[in-house]
Amino acid sequence: MKPPPFAYARAESVEEALELLAEGGEDAKALAGGQSLVPALSFRLVRPTHLVDVDRVRGLDGVGADGDRLTLGALVRHATLARLQPDIRWRALPAAAREIGHDAIRVRGTLAGSLAHADPAAELPVVALALDAELVVAAREGRRTVPAADFFLGPFTTALAPGELLVGATFSAPADGRTAFAEFAPRAGDFAVACVCVGIGAGWARISVGGVGATPVRAPEAEALLAAGGAEAIDEVATTAARELEVYGDRTADERYRRGLVRTLTRRALAEALEAA
Amino acid sequence: MTLVGTDVRRSEDRPLLTGRASFVGDLRREGQLWGRVVRSHSAHGVLNGIDVAAARASPGVVEVITAADVPDARIPIRLPFAETPQSTLALQPLLARDRVRFVGEAVAVVVAEDPYLAEDAAELVVLDVHELEPVADTRAAAAAATLHEELGVNVVNTFALAYGDTAAAFAAADVVVRETLRMPRDAGTPLETRGVLAEVDDTGRLVVWGAAKVKHFNRDVLARLLDLPPERILLVEGHVGGGFGVRGEFYPEDFLIPFLAVRLGRPVKWIEDRREHFVAANHSREQEHELELAVAADGRLLALRDRFSVDLGAYVRTQGVLLPLITLQQLVGPYAWDAFELEGSAVLTNKTPAGTFRAPGVTEATFVRERMVDRAAAELGLDPVELRRRNLIPAGSMPFRFDVGEHAPPIVYDGGDFPAVFAALLERAGYEALREDQRRAAADGRRVGVGVSAFTEMGGIGPWEHARIVPLADGRFCVQCGIASLGQGVQTVLAQIAGDQLGVPFDAIEIDHTDTDTVPMGFGAFASRSTVLAGNAIALAAQDLRERAGPGALDAARLAAEGVVGEGRFEKEAPSFSFGANLSVVELDPDTGAVRVLKHVVAFDVGRTVNPTLLRGQLAGGAAQGIAAALWEELPYDEGAQPLATSFVEYLLPTVVDLPPIDVVVLEFPSAGNPLGLKGGGEAGVAGAPAAVANAVAEALGEAGARVVELPLAPARVRALLGD
Repeated sequence: MKPPPFAYARAESVEEALELLAEGGEDAKALAGGQSLVPALSFRLVRPTHLVDVDRVRGLDGVGADGDRLTLGALVRHATLARLQPDIRWRALPAAAREIGHDAIRVRGTLAGSLAHADPAAELPVVALALDAELVVAAREGRRTVPAADFFLGPFTTALAPGELLVGATFSAPADGRTAFAEFAPRAGDFAVACVCVGIGAGWARISVGGVGATPVRAPEAEALLAAGGAEAIDEVATTAARELEVYGDRTADERYRRGLVRTLTRRALAEALEAA
Repeated sequence: MTLVGTDVRRSEDRPLLTGRASFVGDLRREGQLWGRVVRSHSAHGVLNGIDVAAARASPGVVEVITAADVPDARIPIRLPFAETPQSTLALQPLLARDRVRFVGEAVAVVVAEDPYLAEDAAELVVLDVHELEPVADTRAAAAAATLHEELGVNVVNTFALAYGDTAAAFAAADVVVRETLRMPRDAGTPLETRGVLAEVDDTGRLVVWGAAKVKHFNRDVLARLLDLPPERILLVEGHVGGGFGVRGEFYPEDFLIPFLAVRLGRPVKWIEDRREHFVAANHSREQEHELELAVAADGRLLALRDRFSVDLGAYVRTQGVLLPLITLQQLVGPYAWDAFELEGSAVLTNKTPAGTFRAPGVTEATFVRERMVDRAAAELGLDPVELRRRNLIPAGSMPFRFDVGEHAPPIVYDGGDFPAVFAALLERAGYEALREDQRRAAADGRRVGVGVSAFTEMGGIGPWEHARIVPLADGRFCVQCGIASLGQGVQTVLAQIAGDQLGVPFDAIEIDHTDTDTVPMGFGAFASRSTVLAGNAIALAAQDLRERAGPGALDAARLAAEGVVGEGRFEKEAPSFSFGANLSVVELDPDTGAVRVLKHVVAFDVGRTVNPTLLRGQLAGGAAQGIAAALWEELPYDEGAQPLATSFVEYLLPTVVDLPPIDVVVLEFPSAGNPLGLKGGGEAGVAGAPAAVANAVAEALGEAGARVVELPLAPARVRALLGD
């Protein structure tokens, strides 16, 4: 479990990082907190020829709220996110961050790292999908934004092209929005077997689910029911979400069990979001 | 004021807590090279060839060896009573020669200047394997391709134990319960993986660091394999990060690394990574039992029938066919059966070889028997606690024996008061109040279950231990004995015994067990024997020293000047049995199937406590491992005998966050089997825990509880049992 050979360079700025990534070629990878990449290197699951360390690049750790939008820099640590105490509109974000691994992992792990790694069971991609996140991608040619719905393409696969760097994300929720997050894992800090992020407001309903397929997915039928029925319809909404989605199964958790989790977690998250509404 | 029975602080802790401990990974010898073992990815196949050319040419590589370079020898069995003619036909080679028989089997070793280069090169070794049909479980084993041609079959041995008239007992029974129960494959999983560092020193002596547990046996085996006199080999034990049965049993690497040091004339170091550990270090526990239990309407347990198989993996390891033997001995437990008929087989499969894991045999036996006892209680509509009260062998019947015929020694419970220990368990747990809480919880719609287990545990296995006490010029006494420290505090405990026996303070004692030079002969640390055997050997050595020294207080400096030494040898023919019981309270989340242990209590008769805090730590730590086995741990294989759990992502160990505080009750009914009255305490914590947790979950499940027949009770499994 020693990593395979790689070249290493540290960037002081986004521009420098992009230069170094370009120099490194197709098999260059950005390294920030290292909480996913370093274990993958140790297991020799990935073999990047070049590692471009962006962990100390300045100006990428901002947290800024602006009306209906919350902007987070790429290097916002999970621990920072977990400590935020926003009102109910953005509550899903710290709730999700608190579920990521343990303290030691949260202190180093970053928002962009989690989004770019795109583990199908990861928490922050699920929240990004629920809150219509706009992901800001930097390239040498300039910057572009990619909506979360178009960013996660498959297990550990995103719309990031070689040489590109995720530099931040902007989340949206209406003024009267209430969000929540729920997850089930076999032990404290484990990868989620399934997780759900919900959002509800006047005419706004979001249910996003992770751990059931190749990427996080929305549950449109359940969302429609939620928008129409509100608090009265929680059980039906949860049942619908569990029924409508494509859900995969494996040896530890078969399809039937995962569908049950979707139902339970959707119900719990909605109950929490609507509490004292 | 005596030391035995008091909470003396562990003498081992300072270096461990200040980062100055030296584990084998901390050691560095000048000019050392690094070894990397190449392992099979195939579970079963004919090994037609190994291409090492690319590996040899890889940067920094000094050597690559395969079976052709090492003797065609097998690793022998350590325990004479666990060796049979058949078992010797399935022993493990040093490197796979013409067959590979499990994923993870060592096929070559690469030696390079650093571990990174060694791993790079190891990836370049190419195996030419003609795949054979893999045997993935014991059910298939009987009919499947044989793993060892010389043996000819995959069932190595079958052992039986019988008592009384079982047929009559079953015929007369009011209720018979039948079930097939399985315990999954688990592993001891010490926090420190294995490691070996070997060097030939300036005097031509081969020094090997990383030894543990059974150093003397291992040194002798190594000497034979290298064709060296044993005195030319020194095995040194440093700090060790846990054993649990896994560490210390002679493995291929215990030969390969020293062999390379001799061959290359340079120190060679190997530190196992966790991935390797999961496939190369001993597994354990995997057993399947087909049981029948006969009981009378008034709750009297009449008879037990069991046919079981133990999955030994691909080779018979150093413990031979011990596992089915000790399971048989501990199946009947603390009940006065009229009859029993037990049969257990050791079966080979294409999986990692199995050895002993803390409380081997008794943990599996207790799980299956205590589940059946609860099933009987359910059939009769009796409280499982009451059923046990009615059946525990009373103190007045001690010593109690089952004469099981001419071919096996009798099972003898030499003393103790089983009902008293069980009552102490219930009292500490606050049993009546627990049932009240449970009723209230049920009214609230919460699913809470209470489960108990009771067991007899074999310990203090001989045959003997030797101790020597050497007075030192500085006024202290050096106590030398052949057991080993696996991090369990044995130095402290033995120093307490020595101090009391010599009539000197704790600080005047130095326990030396660290290398084979100072301590020429010993059997090692296993089967909860360290305190019992070494403790009694020390007592005899102390007695010997006093006799030689004459009357009055011992003057170490004077005795050192005169060269007076005390020697003692404690012999123990038969094992002792002690009694323990567990109680567990769990709550189920009916939506997710998650099980939370709310409370867990362990009660144990230790004979005589030497160090209460250390003992409590042993019992609580063991219980934690037992709870982990009940709810989380499992090493599954697929139909191709490919391991599915090879890292901590898949193999789940609970942390303190996942467990409740574990309550420990210790009672002392001194053993008649040794002068100090000691029984072992290192393993008992595990033995009854899985059974108690499983029984609690079964109770919480209600009617569906009858289908709790295998572990772990992971959320998905519990949820499925709950149904809709």
